[in-house]
Amino acid sequence: MIELRDLTRRFNGNVAVDSLNLTIEDGKVFGFIGPNGAGKTTTIRMITTLISPTSGTVHVNGLDASDPEEALQIRSHVGLLPEIPGLYETLSAYRNLDFYAALYGVPIDRRKDRIKELLEMLEIWDRRDDIVGKFSKGMKQKIAIARALVHEPELLFLDEPTSGLDPEAALTVRNFLLELKKEGRTIFLNTHNLDDAERLCDTVGVMRTRLLAKGSPSELSQQFWGRTTVVHLHSISPAMISGVRGLSGVTGVQQDGDHLLVDVTDPASVNPDIVRELVRQGGQVESVNELKRSLEDVYLRLLGGGK
Amino acid sequence: MRLDKLWVVAKKDLAEFRTNKYVMYSILLMPLMLATVLPVIYLSAFVMMPPATQALDVGNEGISMEIIDQVVVNGTYEDTSFLRCELRDVVASNCRFEASNLTNCLVRDSYIGNSTLNGSALFHSNYQGLTTSGSTLSGSVDVSGVNEDIEFLKQFISFLLIFFIMIPVVLPTVMASYSFVGEKLNRSLEPLLATPTTDSELLLGKAAAIFIPCMLATWLSFIPFTIIVDFMVSGILGYAPLPDPVWIIGVFIIAPLFCIMSICLNVIISSKVNDVRASQQLGSLVVLPLVVFFIVALAGVFTLGPEIMLLLSGAVLLVDLAIIYFSLKTFQRESILVRWK
Repeated sequence: MIELRDLTRRFNGNVAVDSLNLTIEDGKVFGFIGPNGAGKTTTIRMITTLISPTSGTVHVNGLDASDPEEALQIRSHVGLLPEIPGLYETLSAYRNLDFYAALYGVPIDRRKDRIKELLEMLEIWDRRDDIVGKFSKGMKQKIAIARALVHEPELLFLDEPTSGLDPEAALTVRNFLLELKKEGRTIFLNTHNLDDAERLCDTVGVMRTRLLAKGSPSELSQQFWGRTTVVHLHSISPAMISGVRGLSGVTGVQQDGDHLLVDVTDPASVNPDIVRELVRQGGQVESVNELKRSLEDVYLRLLGGGK
Repeated sequence: MRLDKLWVVAKKDLAEFRTNKYVMYSILLMPLMLATVLPVIYLSAFVMMPPATQALDVGNEGISMEIIDQVVVNGTYEDTSFLRCELRDVVASNCRFEASNLTNCLVRDSYIGNSTLNGSALFHSNYQGLTTSGSTLSGSVDVSGVNEDIEFLKQFISFLLIFFIMIPVVLPTVMASYSFVGEKLNRSLEPLLATPTTDSELLLGKAAAIFIPCMLATWLSFIPFTIIVDFMVSGILGYAPLPDPVWIIGVFIIAPLFCIMSICLNVIISSKVNDVRASQQLGSLVVLPLVVFFIVALAGVFTLGPEIMLLLSGAVLLVDLAIIYFSLKTFQRESILVRWK
């Protein structure tokens, strides 16, 4: 479990992370989204004990990151994929992973099996002896992911894992992360890719120096927009709009072409009343759905760019 | 400090060095050139024109006449001994001169002791205690045992030690620039720092990967250097000059200390620059005090003896301790990620 309390970090007087309070349960995938310079990478660096907070505390699995001995233990429990893979380009893929496995203390008789297992899962075992410098960006990212997992860490920190990858490589990485999620590994994901966050994360935090919001993607959507029912009609009359507006549980009605957007408190109880009222007014209802607000909508509204 | 972690880091860096042709050229060629080509070039002059050390056979045993306390002007003399004489415009061969002043004289196959030569020429003769002014000495030998050429040759061989200290000073500037600046440019420091190793294990592992090949190159190249120098000058000196205490202290104490200094200095430089070449150039500046020290010694201000070398070792050790402290302060996770440029 990761526990951050009043975590603050300043660089030369500029606040990068401000009073961050966060708890991430074991086995959950937490997504951190926010613009560049929002403090996401700084937060990861503080949790992985690479830099210390200006104030506040970090505890990982009960270990205090401010204690040098416990920080060493924290580092052995976590795997880190930085934004830039940072591999040794003149060494082979296998040699890169073997080096890190040795540093993480993976027993020598287990190392080869573990590296083989990871590279086979990432479909690059046959390229294990090739120099990393010759690899594509996607392949380097795969090696870097394997490096973060070589010691079978309980916690995995991924900083922009699909950034700059072509769609095929991004898909492979995404699928691999879904596999890790199924294994029940705790994952902390920094990303700009809201689609990734929506698909992969149990909980999402929107960050801009401070934690602006936190919850599951659907909770965030409801929190910022409430719930909206979309009714597709053959035609819409003003009487239909005023009739629906007068219903109990309806908080707003908007017309969008032949769609009626109805803000409701509880779709399950109000939607039948809406349909009845529209039919009573002579409307021909073609379909009734709930409007899905994406994480992108939440993100843009929170960070000032949304409508 | 866990030596196994340290060695893992060192082995990885050594593996990277093996794939870097610039590092390999530097490690192999520089010591090879300094150990073989350098002594051949510098010592050839001494070998081709060796200073004579043995008294010449000038054949003046058969002295037939002695001149004492006289002024001798003009004339040609053979088999004559001059004691406390003033000689001017004299041509002499197979003669002995003692406590005399010779002006505008031509002397050959003779012996001159404790005398003065003014505007004169001395050929193929033995001398000692001779004061000269505007005179030429050709093919003659100072039989007092003090031969300036020989003394210079001895000092010069000691001076060559500078190149053997330069190897472990200059090589780390090349290797450290790739090890630290290269790793910084490659952005591979962050995942490395995220591993359960301490800052000092990482720093010492990387330092060991530089220190070991540098010192091996230095010590291995000392073998052919010693053989070449001894082969070239033992005929002149009458003995093999290497290894001697000055060189033993230089190569086995001072060179490693300078190597450590160079590595640590390069760690500090690496935190300030983002360019491998800039790092190499700045790192090379560490040789400057070394060069000054040896040039001052060669100029005769002091003689390079074991005592001076031990003093130098102590001074370098003190500087090392200070630089090690600063490099440990520089190579900390927080500093590397936040303050390193």
